[in-house]
Amino acid sequence: MTDFRKDFVKYAKSLNEASEDKNIRTAISRAVSSYRNTVSETLERFPHTPALAEEVQEIKTRSMASLDTLLEQAMASVERNKGKAFYAKDHQAALEIALGIIGKGKTVVKGKSMLGEELHLREYLEENGNEVWETDLGEFILQLRKERPMHILSPSIHVPREQVAEVFTKFFKKEVPPDIAEEVKVVREFLREKYFTSDVGISGANVVAADTGAMVIIENEGNVRLATGAPPVHIVMVGVEKLVPTFQDAMKVAEVTWRYAQYGVPGYVNIVSGPSKTGDIEKVTTYGAHGPKEFYVIFVDNGRKEMAQEEKFTQALHCLRCGGCMYECPVFQVTAGHFGHTYMGGIGTVWTAFVSGGMEKAAPLVYSCLRCGRCVERCPMSINVPAMIGELRERIVYGTYED
Amino acid sequence: METKMPMVLDVISENIIKHGSPLALKGSEVASWAKELNLPVKGDLLFYTGGEYQMLPFIDSLVKTITHLDQGSKVFSMMMGARNILNKTGISPEKMYASVLAKDKDRYNSVCFKAAKVLKELGYEFCYSGSEELYSGALLYELGYLKDMKDYAKRVVEVIKKSGAKTIVCLSPHAAEVFKFVYPKLIEGFDFEIRTYIDLVWERRDKLAKITSPESVVIHDSCRLARELNIHQELRDILESVGAEVKEAQMNREWTSCCGGPIKILFPELSHVIGGRRVNELKDSGSSHILTSCPYCLSALEGGRAKGDSAVIEDLIEFLYRGVKA
Ligand code: SF4
Repeated sequence: MTDFRKDFVKYAKSLNEASEDKNIRTAISRAVSSYRNTVSETLERFPHTPALAEEVQEIKTRSMASLDTLLEQAMASVERNKGKAFYAKDHQAALEIALGIIGKGKTVVKGKSMLGEELHLREYLEENGNEVWETDLGEFILQLRKERPMHILSPSIHVPREQVAEVFTKFFKKEVPPDIAEEVKVVREFLREKYFTSDVGISGANVVAADTGAMVIIENEGNVRLATGAPPVHIVMVGVEKLVPTFQDAMKVAEVTWRYAQYGVPGYVNIVSGPSKTGDIEKVTTYGAHGPKEFYVIFVDNGRKEMAQEEKFTQALHCLRCGGCMYECPVFQVTAGHFGHTYMGGIGTVWTAFVSGGMEKAAPLVYSCLRCGRCVERCPMSINVPAMIGELRERIVYGTYED
Repeated sequence: METKMPMVLDVISENIIKHGSPLALKGSEVASWAKELNLPVKGDLLFYTGGEYQMLPFIDSLVKTITHLDQGSKVFSMMMGARNILNKTGISPEKMYASVLAKDKDRYNSVCFKAAKVLKELGYEFCYSGSEELYSGALLYELGYLKDMKDYAKRVVEVIKKSGAKTIVCLSPHAAEVFKFVYPKLIEGFDFEIRTYIDLVWERRDKLAKITSPESVVIHDSCRLARELNIHQELRDILESVGAEVKEAQMNREWTSCCGGPIKILFPELSHVIGGRRVNELKDSGSSHILTSCPYCLSALEGGRAKGDSAVIEDLIEFLYRGVKA
């Protein structure tokens, strides 16, 4: 017998507290209007986007239906490119493979990745004797504050500049004023040194082309470019749902992702398919020219394939993590990531049930969804989250789920 | 595996199954609005209230109780389980509900009366199941009690069939939604034509009397109506026909913001916060006269309105009834 009563009470309290938090309120309402403005502006500028999004829905549907084949292909492509490919069935396997590559006593720089959050990757590597730095500014702030992300794209959305200054002053042991430019500058100086002295760079990927083994990583800060280019080893950890058949497909997915993820046009799109190499001396291929000498890709399943096989939930794997639905969610607008476990909002609730936390963690979240359906309006993949929430409720009520 | 859900869910689902009403209201109470109208029990067009507007003042009184009590506490479970554990505790729902203000009861009860009057004025003839009418079960569907819903729906359909009607007109978009999209999957041969109240009024909007309202109004589109049933322009057309000036909220039609109502029973405080924000969004339109067309929106927006806020929140039915009286 699973008793949810206490969980609900506890969760309700946390939502109530969050909804009284002025920082969250102000930050989110600013973020919401900026999101709405940028997206409507860029959709006007690039009017082909909705049609492209429909095409991407199709690509995703096809990809999830042939996940095993794509995975096999992608792994072969990575190996052909002189990288090493791994498949991790679950959470523990993923961590162990990563640790096996990294070892102990290393310095690791990390790009932002929701998968990293799902696996508690940083904490695990630290516990095993490594020094790990988040290089995304928002994640870096949270690392110092020992907090979890409150939004998938803007993890520290709830922390105003004054609080950033406070935590930086303490960490850098010098007065950092509550001035955003100054705050950015101190982190830049600190991390530059880390990029060039660290042993390993870890990143995620927004989309992976199975035919070429190309990892596409979208970013604005330039931290991923440095974290994956400067250290001698680059490890990509990516969920299997990011696989698509071809490079062309990957470009389409990438464009739709950044358009709805409020990038407009992103500062950087990294495409990495293997270790750095040169043949400039006597045409002898030598690895590790300027970039990493070693390149590893860990494809993580951790419940995704099971989801892909469930007719009612496979569509949830189409999620591009653009974050649009969260901005339009009335519950998220007042509670931010408190409406979530690792993954947030309605779609995050579905992911919680299958991938990160399980049904028992998901249950209270499932019942705080309004099922109002505005997320579906926003979602470039038209993911029918309310229908999935309905299905989860039924499984919870009658206990017809496995945990 | 067995799961233990929050008490309030147990109570509401059991109340629906056992008493045909989420709050176990009596059929006679639910139907009291129709006394003077002498509506027939048989006809082609069935007027369906589902007891939803009638239940609103009681939901609020319960939610107020919840807000002051820890949901895990004994007292809470007694309050919420009133109808079910009646014999054991001796608490009667009548007593528990006695605190509900008569004026609230009258107001929400009269929404059904007003709705019927408006339809009559427009020349519609319809029947009503009276004290036999059962709640649609929309909450069973919403809250995940779909297996129970299957059995329950059969009973609802039996009552509907007695009327001999071919068409059902629903006051609540939630009832319309389940009848339209869920019932056909649960009940073989469920082939009633499902209309919303708005549909019917819209078709004969030319016959509506003009309403002289000094201020402009703003529409709160209900999620179900706007997104599931795709009804939003109709509301504007109706208001235009009665000569009302309509202001628009920034988030409207299929982009409307939810009133917070759906989570009211489990997360009442948060629901109020969301309702309050929506009220403000609506007022930003420049009008403080808010019209909606869903019982839960009505109740959630009322609940979310800040103390001392003079905004008027009405159901479209109440607004249209001004034309009938005139
Ligand atoms: S569910 Fe849709 S809107 Fe939400 S993050 Fe995923 S792709 Fe974006």
